[in-house]
Amino acid sequence: MTVKTVFPFAAVVGQDQIKQALLIAMVNPKVGGVLIAGEKGSAKSTLVRGLSQLIPNRKLIELPLNATEDMVLGSMNMEQTVIDGKRHFSQGILAKAHKEILYIDEVNLLQRELSNAILDVAASGIHVVEREGVSKSYKAQFTMIGTMNPEEGDLPPQFLDRFGLYVTAAGEKNIKDRVEILRRILAYEQNPIAFYQKYKRAGEEIRQQITAARTKVKQILISDTMMQLAAQISLQGNCAGHRAEIFLLETAKAIASLAGRDVLLPIDMQEAAAFVLPHRMRQPSEDSKEQHSQKEQHDQPVQDSSHNEQLQLPNEEQSNGNQPSQDKDEESEGKIQEETAIADLLPIGNMALGVQKRKVRQGSGKRTLAKTNTKQGRYVRSCIPTKTVTDLAFDATLRVAAPYQLTRVKGMCCINICKEDLRQKVREKRIGTTFLFVVDASGSMGARQRMKAVKGAILSMLQDAYQKRDKVGMIAFRRQTAEILLPVTRSVELAEKSLQHLPTGGKTPLAEGLYTALGMLSTMYRLEKNIEPVMVLVTDGRANVGSREGQDAVSEALQAAQRIGETRVNSLVIDTEQDFVKLGIAVSIAQALGGSYYKLDDLSSENIIHIINSMK
Amino acid sequence: MRHSAIYPFTAIVGQEDMKLALILNVINPSLGGVLIKGEKGTAKSTAVRALADLLPAMETVKDCKYHCDPQDHNRLCETCQDHLASHKSLAVQAAKMRVVELPVNATEDRVVGTLDIEYAIQHGEKKFEPGILAQANRNILYIDEINLLDDHVVDVLLDAAAMGVNRVEREGVSYVHPSRFVLVGTMNPEEGDIRPQLLDRFGLSVIVTGEHEPEKRVEVIKRRLAYEADPDTFLQMYQEEQETLAQKILQARQLFPMVSIEDQLLILVAKIAIALEVDGHRADIAVIKTALTLAAFSGRMTVTSNDVQEAARLALPHRMRRRPFEEGILDWQKVEALFGDQ
Repeated sequence: MTVKTVFPFAAVVGQDQIKQALLIAMVNPKVGGVLIAGEKGSAKSTLVRGLSQLIPNRKLIELPLNATEDMVLGSMNMEQTVIDGKRHFSQGILAKAHKEILYIDEVNLLQRELSNAILDVAASGIHVVEREGVSKSYKAQFTMIGTMNPEEGDLPPQFLDRFGLYVTAAGEKNIKDRVEILRRILAYEQNPIAFYQKYKRAGEEIRQQITAARTKVKQILISDTMMQLAAQISLQGNCAGHRAEIFLLETAKAIASLAGRDVLLPIDMQEAAAFVLPHRMRQPSEDSKEQHSQKEQHDQPVQDSSHNEQLQLPNEEQSNGNQPSQDKDEESEGKIQEETAIADLLPIGNMALGVQKRKVRQGSGKRTLAKTNTKQGRYVRSCIPTKTVTDLAFDATLRVAAPYQLTRVKGMCCINICKEDLRQKVREKRIGTTFLFVVDASGSMGARQRMKAVKGAILSMLQDAYQKRDKVGMIAFRRQTAEILLPVTRSVELAEKSLQHLPTGGKTPLAEGLYTALGMLSTMYRLEKNIEPVMVLVTDGRANVGSREGQDAVSEALQAAQRIGETRVNSLVIDTEQDFVKLGIAVSIAQALGGSYYKLDDLSSENIIHIINSMK
Repeated sequence: MRHSAIYPFTAIVGQEDMKLALILNVINPSLGGVLIKGEKGTAKSTAVRALADLLPAMETVKDCKYHCDPQDHNRLCETCQDHLASHKSLAVQAAKMRVVELPVNATEDRVVGTLDIEYAIQHGEKKFEPGILAQANRNILYIDEINLLDDHVVDVLLDAAAMGVNRVEREGVSYVHPSRFVLVGTMNPEEGDIRPQLLDRFGLSVIVTGEHEPEKRVEVIKRRLAYEADPDTFLQMYQEEQETLAQKILQARQLFPMVSIEDQLLILVAKIAIALEVDGHRADIAVIKTALTLAAFSGRMTVTSNDVQEAARLALPHRMRRRPFEEGILDWQKVEALFGDQ
């Protein structure tokens, strides 16, 4: 696209934080790039693309989401290789980005394999190629700029750490600015070229500002006082490692030079902290104590759990307050509800708009990403086929065949491909998991306000399912029967609705509930071959209705559990038993299922999500 | 399909919102398309095809794979740019606006384009084989059941839909080409959600339902039967209406750049957006652009408060800030109250 079709950087109203962060990165490559996170439609990509017109001596190299590994890392140059039989190599995007700016839009949606490769290179600044019989290394030092919408999912923590600066974007809140934005967009769309001309001078000034600051930034000396200040700030933020200090100082240098100064002042450090710290701050000890106890209980490595700088997250608390009010449901046969229980304790809102939580999640990768052997999914790279080739990777096959073309007999074609050249595509697909909730809605659950707590717990899971676009189904059992409240669907909203209107009361036909679940699971297995669903059973285990006359309700339930356990399902039992004398049936059920077991009282929203993520 | 086999747009009974939303998008393709929510069998796909058919042919660069607009030098593909630079002019041919379908099971390489295998084997050289996004340039991209689309396909759609450019870096080919299309998606809300990010790319959304009045239902059947019995006669019956509408659309296109809007209405739209707490700025922009287009369609040079209200009705419902489990319902009373203040 030509220059003139890009919306000019200087014409963007407001978003001063983002503009400043971008300028800082343009002035001083040592600040380690910028990550812009924010709601859709807040001019994130517009600013980055507009900026590309203003940077002296550097280019913006875009890495689109559809990129395959060979294009990013480089691959054999098929054309030349065919001609002389020698292996030639074409540089990938990373090598091309050396000394330039690498821009990744929707960086949180990037394929995991690619983001790992990019991380490696970004860390070392050197791109080592060992592929397709080519062994080379390139310099690849680039400034990385990423934009993302947190609604769509998190960025892996190690990737987050790579970005020196972090800014959030939001729409303008005052009327005057919003109107001005509208005016400018209308003017731009009506005549992009005239619009571009109008802002040419303002753009030119920014360009000069960058150029001037680039010379200045080299002259700025860092005093011991400033170093101490940097150390203090990072300590206060409880940042891990020493990267924060370095980024702080480099950012402050850029800020000072952009302001036309060649001396570093404390205010520069202060401003720098707002960019460098948000994604590195960890919560101090109190929280980590709690995390430790969780760690022992569930054997899950929870580290670095941290929230962002408080002032960045005004929404969090608000939504915490609001959300549970939605739970004002009436349970038709239920008692008057005044539960405080877990539903209120679970900070449901904080994942909806929150900035990333830094946490090492085991298994979450597996849940969101899976190698598929069907033809669906994103083509990531190629491999040598193990059996027959079902999904031929043409480009890779051609590259393998290329060096031998001089010696092979060719007919009408330029390239002769032999069987051993064939390469198979490896595809990656973000697949959600299928969750089956089996909920005990008997009278014993309705009592003592358990149901509200259960709903809170399930709601937390549904929240997570919504983000990951999982499928959910729901079965409730009470009185004599079990009922499929919701067939497996992608609409998590429907699941939430059916949960809201769940009536409670009556006896506990646990076995019936489990058999119904088994029926649903078998259908799933038939529909999708490789599916590994997760069943979440919420019960107090006090089965008192058998499905057949004369059978013991509990032993029947155990039998049913055993049968489910024999299938591919991963189960999770949430025990709601609260009586003084505990029968502990739910534990046995969990054992029969071969699944994990948790007491409802031990669950907080944090560890529920965590448990769920480790399931699949 | 034979050309004459397309059901006339003006013969579609009811579904006024959908028809209007589609028309506005062909007048002003930068509106960002329409999301049509509703049950099956409500003439969604018929309407889209019929509208494309109604429009007169447009000018395209001859033999260009991306149907570049010879007048719009800013948005030419590489080949056309090179050609223009060396020959100073571009050969022109007329082509009808097409409806390009993106099937739900489409693979990513089909959508964005891929390596031309045949060419590579025969010539030992790499060449880009354009995909659906190339075909869709300056046409209508129709995605039935868009909520069932694979996530990774949605990802690649997002950028093209926002920027009008398809950037390909895959399978040994690196290519950029224009991909500006009117995005028309249909979905049945009961079958699952659509990702908020993609939702936001749609300019307008409408809800369609089957007709409820018996008389209208009968009329639907009557026309359908008449059309199937004798398509040619049926087409002739509607020819005049078709031509009138086509004329009206063309005039609106010409008028559109000259339509102006008062500051007061801009302020009103900003107020609405703030009151409804929409994400970002796409909502305001969509409302204003829709209002401008509505005025042009009515043959007016200035936008009225009614235009804005109508535009808000089409452009806002799907943009309500939706956290999981929040009912994404447009609080129309809030909007009306703001109009009342005027």
